[in-house]
Amino acid sequence: MKINTKDLLSGIILILFAVIGYWLNQDHALGTARRMGPGYMPMLTFVILVGIGGIVFLLALFSGPNPLENWTRGEILAVPAAIIAFFATYFIVAGLNIFQGNYYVLGSAIFVACLVLAIPPGWRALGLVHAGFSLFGLLLEQGGLMLALVGCIVVSSVADPDHRPKGVLGMIIFLCVLCWWVFIKELDIRVNVWPQFL
Amino acid sequence: MRFAGTTRRRSVIVGLSALAVLGQPALAQAWPAQPIRVVVPYAPGGTTDLVARLVAQGLGERLGQPIIIENRPGAGAMVGSEFVARAAPDGYTLVMSNIASHAISPSLYPANTVRYNAVRDFTHVALLTSNPSVWVAHNGSGITDLATLRTRAAAGQGLDVASSGAGSSNHMLIVQLAQLAGITLHHIPFRGAGPAMTAVIAGQVPLMSDSLPSAAAHIRGGSVRAIAMSSARRHATFPDVATFREQGLDLVGDSWFGLSGPAGMPAAIVTRLNSEIRALLDTADMRARYAEFGGTPGALDADGYTRFVTEEFARWAPVVRASGAEAG
Amino acid sequence: MELLINNLGHGFAVALTVNNILFCLLGCLIGTAIGVLPGIGPVATISLLLPITFGQPATTAIIMLAGIYYGAQYGGSTTAILLNLPGEVSSVVTTLEGYKMARNGRAGAALTIAALGSFFAGTCATILVAASGPLLTSVALSFGPADYFSLMLLGLIISAVLAQGSVLKSIGMVVLGVALGLVGTDVQTGQQRFTFGVPELSDGVGFVSLAMGMFGIAEIILNLERPEQRSVLAAKVGSLFLTKEEFRRAVPSVLRGTLVGSMLGILPGGGAALSSFASYMMERKMSRGRHEFGNGAIEGVAGPESANNAASQTSFIPLLTLGIPANAVMALMVGALIIQGIQPGPRMVEAQPDLFWGLIASMWIGNLMLLVINLPMIGMWVKLLQVPYKYLYPSILVFCAIGVYSISNNVFDVYQTVLFGFVGYIFSKLKMEPAPLLIGFVLGPMMEEHLRRAMLLSRGDVMVFVERPISASMLAIGAVAMIAMMLPSLRKGKDKALAE
Repeated sequence: MKINTKDLLSGIILILFAVIGYWLNQDHALGTARRMGPGYMPMLTFVILVGIGGIVFLLALFSGPNPLENWTRGEILAVPAAIIAFFATYFIVAGLNIFQGNYYVLGSAIFVACLVLAIPPGWRALGLVHAGFSLFGLLLEQGGLMLALVGCIVVSSVADPDHRPKGVLGMIIFLCVLCWWVFIKELDIRVNVWPQFL
Repeated sequence: MRFAGTTRRRSVIVGLSALAVLGQPALAQAWPAQPIRVVVPYAPGGTTDLVARLVAQGLGERLGQPIIIENRPGAGAMVGSEFVARAAPDGYTLVMSNIASHAISPSLYPANTVRYNAVRDFTHVALLTSNPSVWVAHNGSGITDLATLRTRAAAGQGLDVASSGAGSSNHMLIVQLAQLAGITLHHIPFRGAGPAMTAVIAGQVPLMSDSLPSAAAHIRGGSVRAIAMSSARRHATFPDVATFREQGLDLVGDSWFGLSGPAGMPAAIVTRLNSEIRALLDTADMRARYAEFGGTPGALDADGYTRFVTEEFARWAPVVRASGAEAG
Repeated sequence: MELLINNLGHGFAVALTVNNILFCLLGCLIGTAIGVLPGIGPVATISLLLPITFGQPATTAIIMLAGIYYGAQYGGSTTAILLNLPGEVSSVVTTLEGYKMARNGRAGAALTIAALGSFFAGTCATILVAASGPLLTSVALSFGPADYFSLMLLGLIISAVLAQGSVLKSIGMVVLGVALGLVGTDVQTGQQRFTFGVPELSDGVGFVSLAMGMFGIAEIILNLERPEQRSVLAAKVGSLFLTKEEFRRAVPSVLRGTLVGSMLGILPGGGAALSSFASYMMERKMSRGRHEFGNGAIEGVAGPESANNAASQTSFIPLLTLGIPANAVMALMVGALIIQGIQPGPRMVEAQPDLFWGLIASMWIGNLMLLVINLPMIGMWVKLLQVPYKYLYPSILVFCAIGVYSISNNVFDVYQTVLFGFVGYIFSKLKMEPAPLLIGFVLGPMMEEHLRRAMLLSRGDVMVFVERPISASMLAIGAVAMIAMMLPSLRKGKDKALAE
């Protein structure tokens, strides 16, 4: 096979993006060349993008081989599982109706989906780093900066098997003090430091 | 207690000379017992931000608590306004209400994205400043007053007029002027007043509808020529610029900035804030600064400001619809 | 000439008072510090520090704020080189060769040349501003919307050269970036495009979220997946100083970068954003080390860093001569001046000579200070790389998170970053490069704005793009560059296909 799988997928992504964009752009008036509407430039952009995506796709059929890394079965299964987890969490939390505003629904859905994705070892770094990042967002406004830091550090440090609890604890203390000093004491950014529900 | 401890978090950086600004932690039990935050629904650097900072300094000293400016930009000033509409009405969270956030944007944006009522969801506290718009022309354009403007617009295929952006109060004035005068004006929106003024100075666009504060220095410096002012009477700082009314067109429209809190703020706090603000705006120092950039200090009580916002909200809705600008 | 020396002398007399030097130093220190912190930009910092300046004379206030501004430009390159974290447009380019140099154990050299190049460029640009600021204003005014459009288009075409791999794919990434830039409020009509009813998206996708996600976060994950690479990173911390060879190679790049940056910085409609990668493109095509590009060529750091700093000095020209701020930072400075009771306008040179010449003198003093502050600190920065990666990456993560949040005090930006982290990871697996995407993202909206304005003003006449000499020559260069780029890659593709 001479197929360049990476380029093939790149081409597909570009085409897909352009087609979806073109479709969404149907809502926007094109206008005239003189008074271009909001849809004119997007239309041009997506048409060009489809063209380039198409050429990338076609050339990829002959310029290989350039295969992707092989995925294990766990890794393959984790992707749809994470997507399902995302939507399930989204609708459950939205249905609970207790966390309003501030994107708690979106944040918790991302967080759970990232955790599910992290189950197979191959996706652990990808899942946990993002899980830690979104946990930071979830905890920040009501939990305060310190709690958000602890959550983010603990979750993301699981991504590296080298970590030991003692080291993580030391790092938490160091980073909490450092962030407090830099962002609260020096820069005085507008954010709660301590939990609000206490 | 959202920002309890802020006074103690006096940073080394700020601390260098901020003693006067941050003040001592107040001993009084009554409001204000902690710093007050004022949400500016724009990115730092604009007129709203500027007015907020100008007032925050003096008002903080009078209230004995620092006023902290927090910028929450987005969606024609609606993101920050919505944030305050949902905050606790305890007098510690206020918003810089203005002609965009409370009169134009709610009509401009599609109904499903407007998540507050500009009148009902707020306690309107005080008008801080209002300022007219001024129309300026490129020096070599040959347009010197409203009459020449009308002749030129009628002779050709209309005239290009720049503004600081689609949906701005200046854009609305362009729409109104075209309607009232029965001429064709092509609106050329820019990203902010600076780039638009550059285009007028360079002669790429012959005319611009601009707020007086951002145009004042250019008129004084002679890089553009003032055509007419949108105030009801001539402006004290620019007595030789005639109003639209004087030139035979009933076009009056000020842009304004005020302070509002969430609905249901205690009346005592509203009264205290309003009287402190009006006392502050009446000082010689503030008058001088306002005169410098062409703003008029607000002198309305809280009820007056509420009525004012209600009227403005009702007034601009039909103009926004006529402008054809819509953010949907 | 004599007048200039007199004026500069006056300026130095103003800038060299103890108070002004102190505040200049303070501004530079703060600027460097916030430049190093990912996401915390000069706009946020200046607006926080504005109250301090109330108590100071206007000149002192502006000197300090200007110090923060170019200090931040300076500090931004540090994280770009060491951690692959670009906090602003100009550092995107610095990551390309700078981070590669760091991986080769030349982090010290990269930081040193960035500091030296910036200082040289800053000095030249300051002299330029002083000597011919008012004259150069006419250059800024002679650029109409059609010219800006062609300039942006040229920028987009040549940005494909940023890619290490396939030119075609990187053009695809540029266009993808332009498409992402469409999200938000349409400048002409105020209509919301592709915002899905999310108010936070009405101002567009956040640049810092995009850059942090695609560069910083994705890089962390890739490093975690390949433990063998990070030990290499920690072990190799070579000499901090430039070798003679490196120095010789960097000198012409610094000169070219200074020239390009000074010129583009004058244009308020987006010239400064173009400067660093216009310089990168030049170096990649013209420098002696062009064959090393992609593997840590020092020219790729020296040129863009000089260009970027030169542009940030000359971008003061529209502010100082027309009273028109070229970017958000300067808009804040105007605000600070108005609060002080000074209206910046076209007559600032005559009306406020202390302010004008004092600021210019302090720019140079500030650049000197930055050099003095930063050169000794390079050793410390490089030591950062010896921190075990397992401690380094959570720190980068939390600093990014706080930085991203603080841009508009909104957690939505944090989740947006997560999304782009995933996208960046997928893209890196597919060898789709994020740098051209970011350039497209930044230039695309400007290009659309100028295109539509040009068409509005020309009453729909497309000829305006070829009739105006500036625009026509930009388009011609773009066409030539396009052909020159496509030919070899097409030929190579064909050769490869035939060989199989």
